[in-house]
Amino acid sequence: MFKTKRRLVVLGAAVLAAAALVIVLVAGWAGSGHRDVTDVDGNASAVLYTAGHQPLAPDFTATTLTGAKLNFAAYRGQVVVLNFWGSWCGPCREEAPTLAVAAEQYKSAGVDFLGVDVRDTTASAEAFTRNFGITYPSVSDAGSVITLDFTSVVPIAGTPTTLVIDRTGHIAGAVFGPTTMGELTAMLAKVTGQAA
Amino acid sequence: MPVNLTLGHVSNDFLIAALIIYSLAVVAFAGDFAFGRPRRAGAAARVQDREPAAALAAVGAPGATAADSVADGGTVPGDGDAPGGPAASTGPPPPVSGSVPDSMPELQVPALRAIGQAGPWVRVAMALSVAGVLAHTGAVVTRGLAVHRAPWGNMYEFVTALTCVAALFFLFVMIRYRAWALGVFVLGAVVITLGLTETLIYTAAGQLVPALQSYWLSIHVTAMTLSTGIFFVAAVLGGVYLAVDRYTRRVAAGRARPGNALVRRLPTIEQLDRLTYRTIVFGFPVWTFGVIAGAIWADQAWGRYWGWDPVETWAFITWVLYAAFLHARATAGWRGRRAHYIQLLGFTSLMFNILVVQVFIAGLHSYAGVS
Amino acid sequence: MTDVRAPHADPLADPQRDQLADPLADPDEQEAGRPASADFGLADWARWAWRQLTSMRIALILLFLLALGSVPGSMLPQEGTNPAGVAQYFTSHPALAPLLNHLGLFNVFGAPWFAAIYLLLFASLVGCVVPRTFRLAGSARTLPPRAPRYLTRLPRSAEYASALPPGQAAEVAAKVLAGRGFRLRRPAADAADGDWVSAEKGYLREVGNLLFHLALLGVLVSVALGGLFGYKADRLLIQGQSFADTPIGLDEFYPGRFVTSNDLPPFSITLDQFDASYIASGAQRGQPSAFDAQVSYTATPAGPVRTDHIEVNKPLSVDGAKVYLIGHGYAPVFKVTDARGQVVYDQATPFISGASGNFLSEGVVKVTDAQPQQLGFSGIFVPTAVEVGGVLESVFPAADNPVVSLIAYAGNLGVNSGVPQSVYQMDTTGMQRLTADPQVLAPGQSLKLPGGQGTITFTGYQQWVSLAITHDPGQLPALICGMAALGGLLLSFMVRRRRVFVRARARETGSTVQVGGLARTDASGGFEAEFASLAAELRSAHDQAVPSHPSAPSAHDQAIRHEGE
Repeated sequence: MFKTKRRLVVLGAAVLAAAALVIVLVAGWAGSGHRDVTDVDGNASAVLYTAGHQPLAPDFTATTLTGAKLNFAAYRGQVVVLNFWGSWCGPCREEAPTLAVAAEQYKSAGVDFLGVDVRDTTASAEAFTRNFGITYPSVSDAGSVITLDFTSVVPIAGTPTTLVIDRTGHIAGAVFGPTTMGELTAMLAKVTGQAA
Repeated sequence: MPVNLTLGHVSNDFLIAALIIYSLAVVAFAGDFAFGRPRRAGAAARVQDREPAAALAAVGAPGATAADSVADGGTVPGDGDAPGGPAASTGPPPPVSGSVPDSMPELQVPALRAIGQAGPWVRVAMALSVAGVLAHTGAVVTRGLAVHRAPWGNMYEFVTALTCVAALFFLFVMIRYRAWALGVFVLGAVVITLGLTETLIYTAAGQLVPALQSYWLSIHVTAMTLSTGIFFVAAVLGGVYLAVDRYTRRVAAGRARPGNALVRRLPTIEQLDRLTYRTIVFGFPVWTFGVIAGAIWADQAWGRYWGWDPVETWAFITWVLYAAFLHARATAGWRGRRAHYIQLLGFTSLMFNILVVQVFIAGLHSYAGVS
Repeated sequence: MTDVRAPHADPLADPQRDQLADPLADPDEQEAGRPASADFGLADWARWAWRQLTSMRIALILLFLLALGSVPGSMLPQEGTNPAGVAQYFTSHPALAPLLNHLGLFNVFGAPWFAAIYLLLFASLVGCVVPRTFRLAGSARTLPPRAPRYLTRLPRSAEYASALPPGQAAEVAAKVLAGRGFRLRRPAADAADGDWVSAEKGYLREVGNLLFHLALLGVLVSVALGGLFGYKADRLLIQGQSFADTPIGLDEFYPGRFVTSNDLPPFSITLDQFDASYIASGAQRGQPSAFDAQVSYTATPAGPVRTDHIEVNKPLSVDGAKVYLIGHGYAPVFKVTDARGQVVYDQATPFISGASGNFLSEGVVKVTDAQPQQLGFSGIFVPTAVEVGGVLESVFPAADNPVVSLIAYAGNLGVNSGVPQSVYQMDTTGMQRLTADPQVLAPGQSLKLPGGQGTITFTGYQQWVSLAITHDPGQLPALICGMAALGGLLLSFMVRRRRVFVRARARETGSTVQVGGLARTDASGGFEAEFASLAAELRSAHDQAVPSHPSAPSAHDQAIRHEGE
């Protein structure tokens, strides 16, 4: 009888030790999520959200780089490609030509391109758009408030991030990182229901 | 509030006075060693801590009658001409009787009389010690008044304060345990430390950087000051222990002559060991509290309660080493000499933390104020 | 910490003492031996290993290893707190650094070997503490041992005469001891070994000991939980700027494994004003005396705007997160016009102060969209500039006489390829230097670039603060466990396990009362005083009690008298 009690005690101690071990090991593995968020590492991942799982894009009103007021609700009914970028962001420069071309290409198809210029200043942003021939407007989001709103529905971790929003105002797809023409066309084909 | 420079100068004067008085006290203690009244305690008075085997074994265990004969407890250095130790009695006299003192017998003769009986050298030395401690405390207090905050905001102030704590604490130990034989060692260490502090890292009274302007200074640094002062005393006692222990082993090996006059005046190995243990037991919770308070303050100031900053790391190392000392006392083969090595290693890491890490290794906790 | 196998070991016993009674009983010595039998199975090896792990000796060694392992973590730069220092170490010790890296010495406190040490230590701790907890619970009902025959042999003893008969004397003693909170044992009704009382006290000591060790485990678990569910973030904010608590709005974001960007409280903070004051004169000239960041913030995007101050030692609490003022610096404002006359850059650029003191700061201006060529400037900002022997120095940290000194470049900044770059560093390999010497500009002054490449104007300066945003759910549990550990420590140090025995033997008139007592040898003392006062109290109780049936000795007395002493 005494022997079983001792065994139980030892077993209990072993279980406790194992539990503590597991917790601490998990913690070691846990604290390792460092993401440098100034820009994404060049590894894009394109995601298409299935029907029923498409989050609703939040509305916002903001000022464009040229000083005009813009109300995002006015874009309802159009397909929108929303691009989060900054003039300081290296990978954004990589994808900028693609976006400029795509914007022209899809203009007739009723797809609007809109930029959200995060943590930037007007002079640098305008120089960027001028440099890359970006003709579509961008709103200024120096305080990242618009980004905050969108991050609550889509996990935006850095720039560039491109969202494809359908006519009902739901986010149908996202590219986390610099986008390519192939990815854009594939997504837009799905969303517009036609090949451009 | 602007710093009161006059009081700052007064503080410096007090400190110089304390240094001089302490030095004289050390001379007087040394004089007691050389010329003082001979102690009653000889080799015969090396009372062993009695293993109460009787209490553990079955009723009627064979008693250790040899131990009984020492029941009149020998006197401990310092009793001088005090009446022979507590004797067994059956009559009305003091209820505590027939007992072997397992500590220095502090209850028999009142302190002042014991000091008086210890001889003129001890009397002078104790008077000087008290005067020195008063001057030292005065230095610390006036410094605090000068800067309108707790006077431990940079390394100079910290070392001055901790040596004051050490001296005060040791004064208490000396009086309570009649351990004036240790005076030359502890006060000598205080004198050396203060002297080096004054000459090498003196910093004038001044304001603190914003990071230190917090009420946590009075909590965290106070705890560190107290515990370091206490560990200071324990370290000196540990050093004395190791010296006496080495001598005892050399005598046993036949490489030294027994009956060294210096050693005979010191407390026994067991008494030194126990006193050191009790000192560390007193200091360890204070150090633990200081580390916790430091973590709380770090959270307030730097946003995290533990970040393995070099000073934090060495405070942790110090804590672990003193914890190892406490464990060593309960482990066969690690008691005695080895435990004291551990304790001294812990104090070394503490001093390394204060003197080297804070000054030379860049980190958040570089508040030494030493250029 | 004693061995699981020795459940009968007297907790009061000093293991060394045990050796006197039974030389084989010392648990530490015994564990050191190797198993003798040839057919020792795996289970037996496991048991031997477990016993070794939970021995005091191994605990001691692990404590040493823990201390020793922490040393390199304080001497070498660590990746978590000083990544720049690590990189610096690699450049200055090219041969040694990779080896140290391999051993994990640039991330000591996250290294597997360090984790192994403290995990083993805690396994050892748990393996000792849990059985002792069971034993403590079990001993809640065990009685103290019987009183020895000869109490005068105990470390503390007293003896006196009493008018009470032995049985009554023992009763009175029992009452006194019970009143003092001792747990008692009396002789069995039919026992013939005299009148005695055994009393024991101080069980709280073991409770304190166990509480301390379990609380340490609690601290470890709290730290782990904080790491899982908490996060840390940094943001450098220039006066006038604002940011929202979302990954894009942060400069560095370290989430715990179970933290997503959705868990971040959606506050926004604007830096309205930052003031740093310095001591202007005296021995401490140049030392900072106060920092104060005035901010306005909203807890949610649509919520009301509040204002507050963030200072060192005074973080801002917002929706579960705390925002700390960690550092500050200067951000000179530059306006750059390119060759085509367009304003291509017009903003405050954070410069970082270096080791030279008094906030002499370094930084770069990367004008990525200047036409036809990209422009870059590297420079220093000197808050209170004085030229000493041709070298610009800063003599005071406040911006009393601000100047910048710039070197201009043109060419390819290397950002177009998409590889991320630090905003504080510029890669000039693809660029050509435009100015031979650094050009010094006072506020308002411009530098015209050679070859008509453009102009840069130093329009003024702003100040920036660096804020740390943290959330650590394990913080409060860690504090509670820390305080519990301290409480347990104090309890285990201050409470002594001690035993007191009273024996009464019959005499011609009444009885001789012997009182004896002992405490653990490593107790911190004070038992002498307690015993003295206890003995005095017993004595006075015995003196005050009125003997009942003084002439009729009890059966016990008769038995004792016949036995003699």
